[in-house]
Amino acid sequence: MVAVIKKNAKALQESLFSSVGSSVLTIGTTYLVLNFFRGMFGFVMSSDKDWLAVLNNMQLYMVQAYPESDFIRVWVSVGLTFVFSGISIGLWRSEDRSNVSSIFDTFFKIGLGVLFFTIVAPTFTSYMGNDGSVITEEIFSRSTRLGILIPTLIATVAFFGLKNMKINFSYNNSDVVFLYLFIPVALLWFVKLPVIQLDQNKERIMPDPLMPIANTTKIPWSVIFVMFLIAYFIGIYFKDVKRLKNVMSISWFLLPLLIFSWIFKKPQIDMGEVLTGDIPIFFIFFIIGLVTVLFINNPIVKKYYSIYLGIILVGTIAGIFIGIPMLAKACLLLLSLFSMVVPAVSTSDQGKRSLIIIWFVALVTLTFLLRGGASETGIVVPGSSIFGGFSLTWLLAIFGTYVSFPLGVLLALGRNSKLPIVRIICTGIIELVRSVPYITWLFFASVTLAVFLPAGVEFNLIVRVLMVTAFFSGAYFAENIRGGLQSIPKGQYEAADAIGMSPFQKTGLIVLPQALRAVIPTLVSSAITAFKDSSLVTIIGLFDFLTIGKTVIDNQSVPVNFVGHQRENLIFVAVVYWIFTFTLSRRSMKVEKRLGLGER
Amino acid sequence: MSIIQAKDVKKWFGDFQALKGISMEIAEGEVLVICGPSGSGKSTFIRCINRLEQHQDGEIIVDGTELTNDLKNIETIRAEVGMVFQSFNLFPHLTVMQNITLAPIWVRKKSRSDSEEKAMELLNRVGIPEQADKYPGQLSGGQQQRVAIARALAMDPKIMLFDEPTSALDPEMIKEVLDAMKELAKSGMTMIVVTHEMGFAKEVADRVMLFDEGMMVEENTPDEFFDNPKNDRTKLFLSQIL
Amino acid sequence: MKNAIKYFLFFRNVVFLKWAFQVIFLFGILSIIWNYIQNAIVNLADTNIAFSWGWLGETPGVSVAEGMYTLPNSGLQMIQTGMVNMFRITVTGIFAATVLGTFLGIARLSSNYIVEKSSTGLLEVVRNVPLLVQIYFFQAFVLSFPRLEVFDTGEYFFHASAKGIAFPWFNRGPNSYLLMVYALLVLYIANKIYKWRVEILEREGRDTKPFLWSVGTLITLLVIGWYGGFRAAGVVGFLAGYISMGLEAVPAIVYQMLISGTAIYIGFKATKKFIDSKKSEEAQGIYSDDDYFKIILNVVVVLLVVLIMFSSIGAGFAGFLVGDEITFKADWGLPQLFHGIENKLHWYPSIDVEVVAEIEGMKKAEIINWEIKPGDKIIQGDVIATAYATGTKIDKQEVELIALETGTVESLLVEEKGIAIKLGTPYYELEVTDGDPFIFSKPKIEQVGTTKFQRYAKGHGKSLSVGYFAIWLGVVLYTAIFISEVVRAGIMAVSKGQSEAGMSLGLRRGALLRLVVLPQAIRVMLPPMGNQYLNLAKNTSLGIAVAYPEIVAVGQTLYNQEGQTLPVFLIWMMFYSSVSLTISSIINYYNRKMKIVER
Repeated sequence: MVAVIKKNAKALQESLFSSVGSSVLTIGTTYLVLNFFRGMFGFVMSSDKDWLAVLNNMQLYMVQAYPESDFIRVWVSVGLTFVFSGISIGLWRSEDRSNVSSIFDTFFKIGLGVLFFTIVAPTFTSYMGNDGSVITEEIFSRSTRLGILIPTLIATVAFFGLKNMKINFSYNNSDVVFLYLFIPVALLWFVKLPVIQLDQNKERIMPDPLMPIANTTKIPWSVIFVMFLIAYFIGIYFKDVKRLKNVMSISWFLLPLLIFSWIFKKPQIDMGEVLTGDIPIFFIFFIIGLVTVLFINNPIVKKYYSIYLGIILVGTIAGIFIGIPMLAKACLLLLSLFSMVVPAVSTSDQGKRSLIIIWFVALVTLTFLLRGGASETGIVVPGSSIFGGFSLTWLLAIFGTYVSFPLGVLLALGRNSKLPIVRIICTGIIELVRSVPYITWLFFASVTLAVFLPAGVEFNLIVRVLMVTAFFSGAYFAENIRGGLQSIPKGQYEAADAIGMSPFQKTGLIVLPQALRAVIPTLVSSAITAFKDSSLVTIIGLFDFLTIGKTVIDNQSVPVNFVGHQRENLIFVAVVYWIFTFTLSRRSMKVEKRLGLGER
Repeated sequence: MSIIQAKDVKKWFGDFQALKGISMEIAEGEVLVICGPSGSGKSTFIRCINRLEQHQDGEIIVDGTELTNDLKNIETIRAEVGMVFQSFNLFPHLTVMQNITLAPIWVRKKSRSDSEEKAMELLNRVGIPEQADKYPGQLSGGQQQRVAIARALAMDPKIMLFDEPTSALDPEMIKEVLDAMKELAKSGMTMIVVTHEMGFAKEVADRVMLFDEGMMVEENTPDEFFDNPKNDRTKLFLSQIL
Repeated sequence: MKNAIKYFLFFRNVVFLKWAFQVIFLFGILSIIWNYIQNAIVNLADTNIAFSWGWLGETPGVSVAEGMYTLPNSGLQMIQTGMVNMFRITVTGIFAATVLGTFLGIARLSSNYIVEKSSTGLLEVVRNVPLLVQIYFFQAFVLSFPRLEVFDTGEYFFHASAKGIAFPWFNRGPNSYLLMVYALLVLYIANKIYKWRVEILEREGRDTKPFLWSVGTLITLLVIGWYGGFRAAGVVGFLAGYISMGLEAVPAIVYQMLISGTAIYIGFKATKKFIDSKKSEEAQGIYSDDDYFKIILNVVVVLLVVLIMFSSIGAGFAGFLVGDEITFKADWGLPQLFHGIENKLHWYPSIDVEVVAEIEGMKKAEIINWEIKPGDKIIQGDVIATAYATGTKIDKQEVELIALETGTVESLLVEEKGIAIKLGTPYYELEVTDGDPFIFSKPKIEQVGTTKFQRYAKGHGKSLSVGYFAIWLGVVLYTAIFISEVVRAGIMAVSKGQSEAGMSLGLRRGALLRLVVLPQAIRVMLPPMGNQYLNLAKNTSLGIAVAYPEIVAVGQTLYNQEGQTLPVFLIWMMFYSSVSLTISSIINYYNRKMKIVER
């Protein structure tokens, strides 16, 4: 015990006070950091801040003015996400186990931190009133301080003891996720939060009364938690089915599409049209696909494959220009893509079976999306846009990445191409787009883009922003991917040539998989940048997460307005952004490490 | 009937002339070894046969098909000519099995099960059936090169080109690759091998050629080439290398 | 026969396919662009807002919150104000972010636990929060200070309020440009002297004390300069005057021809050089597809330049240089530009004196009687003219317009009496003969006339507006964090062996960092550093969020006024593209220089 302390003290001395300069730096930095902390603490606790401006406006923050009667859609979407997460965590459940003493160690360190900051926290804080005078007030009385100090001290000592008892009990790392979620869900049932209440004179009752959390919040969350748990066990049960992991990956890709169409639309579907239009088209294409899969590898039929493919391609191009239903056009396009991969995959019965399933699912999804997307929305929202708050931020970030990523791949391939005209044009697009700041492109979307569209065509501002974002992030993605393309040795191209691959096969099977794998870390950081940049839509007047905190709460929150509490809201916004970007970048670092170990 | 005919093949890289008129014929089933100092154009020449480089003058006819800009001809020839590189050039993101079955499935449009069966057979032939599910990065250099040979063979080529297949290998691994090549030569495959392995040339080759400065300076049977060279340049080369 | 088949099968020819694909691609892209332009023409015709640049020459009905011209006389001058405001942040920001970033980067490599952890903590906070949120927070932070009106009027040393932050500063007088140019000349001379002495040292092998010589010259000349010698820099203005006169005689067509001629010359030279390189004996004039493409591209680009130069675009551009009615007003034509330099850098710089409010509420002045005539010498405080002030409570109150600078009157800009002159309009030209180049002063709070509002007085100390403070701090902190990552990676890229070699020579830690590690690290750091500078320049566009009038904000104000969104967008694009190009070429230049030194 003494030896441990001695050793630590020695290490500390070497690290912090090895020389005069180092000691001065240590003391100076400590002084700065402590004062920063004390200042922040005073800032947060001082009585001119009203944190209820944040706490009471969670609904605005999440969905802005989305009608409460349709909240079930939001809940189902959140639930679906959690169920998917549960299944995925189960499927990819790590086999890493940790000893319980590492938890105690964490708690011990947290305890030490709390002790330290409780001791150094300031008792008084002062702020400047409106008249320029300095107001000083007590924010952290001695009794409160002791009330925190003593229990924390006992707990810390206890954890220190537990940590050193070497209890031989280990747990699976993936299982702890449920502990993280269980604690907040359980707290929902017990904790009471201050709520703004008005008296008869429409004056706010001070101090704010404490109320239990509403059932409309805690019941859905509890249900979601239970489903999450069930999904987790389902995932573990099917852990060894390899195919399910692929299905899950594709589902994750499709989930946002489904969720946003579900929240955006309460489709008013005309069943007559579905019966006369959609279902026949669906069956026709399903049968064509089925026949293709079953007979394409028959030796007699195979001879005429190129003719078949030619007919379909010509049909697709013709179909785009002639007046057939949108669904038929989309199906034709899908069919031509499908026909290209069929001969290689449908060689075994198993391959045929999975192809038919994929074809069926793809057609169903397409039909659903097109019918749902073309129909009128049944959701009426006061104000301009259905989406607001955090859901808009997510929409912009996810769809921005969805549309810009393929574009970025194409631009990168073009810029790396051996064909000079293609190369010059792609380079020009990339450099032009990148040299101008994002905000000017957003203005382009909001005021100038309409000029270039055919007369009569109008898009929602969100859609226009997404169009511009596709190009902007696409150009940045392209530069990252180009780095990956350049890292591929020339020999890889030559080897692919030597075994007779066509340029498309070479790109799709050899070059891109390697290039993308090489740039995953930079791609993630680009995606994080795109997420942060989505906050810029505030400036062109979209109601994203930041706008809510910056302007909306000032005048739209009920029952009272919170004029002059921008700083609290901005800090909250910053913290939320921070949590997301920080965890994302940490996760990507871990993924990067794992990839680096596995494949090469 | 010769399977490869080259007439007065010339090739420039900018200002530098790499091939200064090479003419030769190779019969079916023949094993030809090309040696020469670095920069002598020997690699460039065999890469021209596979159209990895474009010759600018003269003509190359492979199995009755002339190498021109015609897409169909290039495709035909590439399907008939297999190539093994100095730096293996295996695809690092695919397993050994996927490396070998890639071309049969996507280029020859064969079924996956047939291709995998064939691949196992080839892996047996080069002696590493147990490595099928590993990634190239997990194999030693010699094993990688043998996978590369199997990958080229998976296309059922009529001709195999070897571009210094052993120069990137540690000495103890050279033998295993050479053994695989010898076995291949005995099976009657037409082979053009660019190499400095003189033992291999003596044992297997039907003919040996020496390239220098873009020209073929000597063409001979192995015995004559090593014991009784006609050209002074050959003598100098042999004295440096042996 | 064989050849005939060869040609018949052209559609299977790889070269043909390659070029056919590219031509189709090019036409595809061009037709898409053409399609959009057609749409734009139709749409603009429908909305009755024809695409035009004319608004650049017209006086906008709006003012700019801060900057060179708060009451711009033309759209172009307003845009210039925005550009200069953007550069104010970019230039100072790049400097500050580099210094701060370097410190943070070194701190992150420190062996001191607390220093390392706290700088990493700062990094993680700043990097993971959107820049816009940070800028808004800084703005909200300053806005939460007490209003300026609660403070007493008078001088302060340092002051912060909801109006911004103010501190003492050296303010520029009319002579300041002369002094700055003089200082540059002196630096140049000192440098030349240093080189001259070194040359003697190397030739004759005796110690010529080059450093002493150059510093001695520098100090002597600077002292002479400070006590009036700076007027020697007036020679620059003198020359600029003649250049301006010469340029005035040049018609627009000369510029069109000059630029086309240069393009043809460069294109011809490049192509000839390229063909010559292929003609050497060994290459035998054999061209690859790429070579043909390069030659054709050269020709096409030259033709395009010539075509554009003699189209309406080229004529417009030449008019721009000559100083047509649009650029003339904003002094953007080449002759006016040099004339401006002449005015600022003449022996005695000449300024246009503007009407300022002499009493509260005054909007315009109507001159009754001039007290001066051209050629008069006036000193500060003299009466220039008597005038009626309009806009005050008492109509047509009589006021005296007072001189603010000492000098000789050159000309009166408002000859006729009885015309109402708006505040901020120049009304006489003065040759400034006296006054310090730089004046040190402390911030001062003054009352806005008789109203209850207050402001920081102009010309007293320096006050940063809320917007300037927020955007400056925001971009500097954000960029510094990324620069610290660059610095850290750069230092870590220098191999440990280098440090060990340095230490084995007995270098101390500081000297090791300065002499061995940093010079090598800088080579690695330059390209990513350039990217960060580019990002900083682009991020200044967020100034619009906090009402700081940089070019995007100014552009937005302008198109809200004029409805010309497309030209404004084109201006943004041209401006930012040229800024990006400039920064990246500077970085590339240093990068190349560094590499040459290495070998």
